[in-house]
Amino acid sequence: MFRTIFAIALKNAFLRKSRALLLIVMIGMSMGVMVGLEGLYDGMSLHMIDKSIRSDSGEISLYAPRYRLENDIRYRIEDAGEKVARLQKIPGVRTALYRLQVDGLAQTATKSNPSRAIGIDLESEKAFGKFGDFLKEGRLDFGKNGTFVGSELARKLKLKIGSKVIFTAQDSQLNIQSIALRVRAIIRTTNLSLDERGIYLPRERVAAFLGLDPGSATQIALRSSGENDPLLKKEIQNLFPDLKVYTFIELYPQLKQMQSMMDIFNAITFGIVMVVVFVGILGVMYVSILDRIREFGILLSIGYAYRYIRFQIMMEALFLGFAGYLLGALLGFVLLSYLQIHGMDLRAFSEGLESFGMESTLYATIKASYFVSTFFAILLASLLSVILPLRRLKKLNPVEVIRDAQ
Amino acid sequence: MIKLKHVNKYFYQGEPREVHALKSIELEIERGEFSVINGPSGCGKTTLLNAIGVLDEITSGEIWLEEREIAHLSPREKTEIRLTQMGFVFQAYNLVPVLTVAENIGFVMRLQGYPAEEIRQRVHELASILQIEEKLDTLPSLLSGGQQQRVAVARAVASKPKIILADEPTANLDSKNSIKLMEMMKRLNEKEGITILFSSHDAYVVENARRVIMLDDGALV
Repeated sequence: MFRTIFAIALKNAFLRKSRALLLIVMIGMSMGVMVGLEGLYDGMSLHMIDKSIRSDSGEISLYAPRYRLENDIRYRIEDAGEKVARLQKIPGVRTALYRLQVDGLAQTATKSNPSRAIGIDLESEKAFGKFGDFLKEGRLDFGKNGTFVGSELARKLKLKIGSKVIFTAQDSQLNIQSIALRVRAIIRTTNLSLDERGIYLPRERVAAFLGLDPGSATQIALRSSGENDPLLKKEIQNLFPDLKVYTFIELYPQLKQMQSMMDIFNAITFGIVMVVVFVGILGVMYVSILDRIREFGILLSIGYAYRYIRFQIMMEALFLGFAGYLLGALLGFVLLSYLQIHGMDLRAFSEGLESFGMESTLYATIKASYFVSTFFAILLASLLSVILPLRRLKKLNPVEVIRDAQ
Repeated sequence: MIKLKHVNKYFYQGEPREVHALKSIELEIERGEFSVINGPSGCGKTTLLNAIGVLDEITSGEIWLEEREIAHLSPREKTEIRLTQMGFVFQAYNLVPVLTVAENIGFVMRLQGYPAEEIRQRVHELASILQIEEKLDTLPSLLSGGQQQRVAVARAVASKPKIILADEPTANLDSKNSIKLMEMMKRLNEKEGITILFSSHDAYVVENARRVIMLDDGALV
């Protein structure tokens, strides 16, 4: 029996081709755009998180107690190399490195700006976060007296490749020291604090400049498999009880907030699209049922139970919703695939975006969950949309319909 | 087989324009009868037929189908009675537009859960009797009025109901098709032993019925 009802529903759903097509296109377009926006929002926040992890914190970072409060090299980690070696032996840790940072002042002949010397090991950085990806101009080679500067700092100080810059800071003996550097590369991480203040130097050079042991560090960062960072944090904290261990979320709570905000945008977009789908199917089903009142009257009069009609109407709505879903999923997938590869070019708004630490080209991400959640939401919207038309049908008196028809 | 006891039907009961459509109807229809309810337009023929077919509520009285009083059943039970015990032929054919002729004929059987093969055989058998074999895969909208009415008859008799209720089945047919339909109904009545009750004011139908039930202003004459 249900096969017959299924067949009737299928035929009825697409009986009025233009009406059905219009609805399917409406659902498909709304869903396609929604999935596109969802992927773009997610892509934007994931991209920022990824850049921050790769350029700075890793999934987990270790600091000497009070360093993050005071930003003073007195609160440093000693024998960092040996600690990194121990960390790398922990299952779940993919790679680790250490950095030595000190706040100071960068100057040219005419301008100056607060900055931060970041002592790095270039090869470790490449393995840690594909440091080469952040290169905006120049070459990743410190050479003699070479430095890499953050893109925003370079803009403020009008630095170009080959420009000279003086970095001044207080060493471990509290003496003011200066170092003359030549810009070899300009680095753009989209991590605002690094781009505005970063002066990258070989780690040993920063240690010598500050009069510290080469094994000194202000930060140890590690990349994990990401499966269970809180547990890994606990394990590391137990291993190094004298250090403070932070997960990425603890170091960048604003990015987590941004992700939550994107989730809210997504939920709002999702809600609007589902209302559109709901109203669309409701309208089409209502008109379709009013058009076929006589048919339902006939069916009731020859013994077709109301429950069969209910099932039939639900199936019709589901067919329309599902057809719209298929079109929307296809459109969404094509749109996301394009945006994942080519991105959305927003160079016209680059200044505004960059001030938020965003790229001027936004890349989307594709997750199966977009399609799964939309599938169930459309399923639900389709089923809810027939409640009103069914209530109308429930009141139907077959004999009145047949009398009217005759 | 069918017994109506003191059946009354009012429209707009209690309102100033109240109509007493059926007046204390006492009627008995035996198994295998080929009867017609006859009378002038507006005398209550369709109302009486609808009451017997439990399509419409009656105001008072009882309607018995064999040993069961059916007028006061729940809507669900009435639907079940219509499905399993009765066949309907309407003036306006009332076929399901999205189903083919074969699917329309077999529709009631399918609702009753007959096996597919039995439905197929019965559809072909009826299509042969009613001379619509070549139209089995056609949609109703592509058939003439006479052909559509034959499909409606086939649908009504397919599951071998106890009674067929036909409301003005020839009203939309020309005389040639009316004669054909009556002959077929007679044949089905004789061959299948199905009780047939028409409502009609068509002279040809009245002439060919074995029993004529006269109705005037809602009362049996």
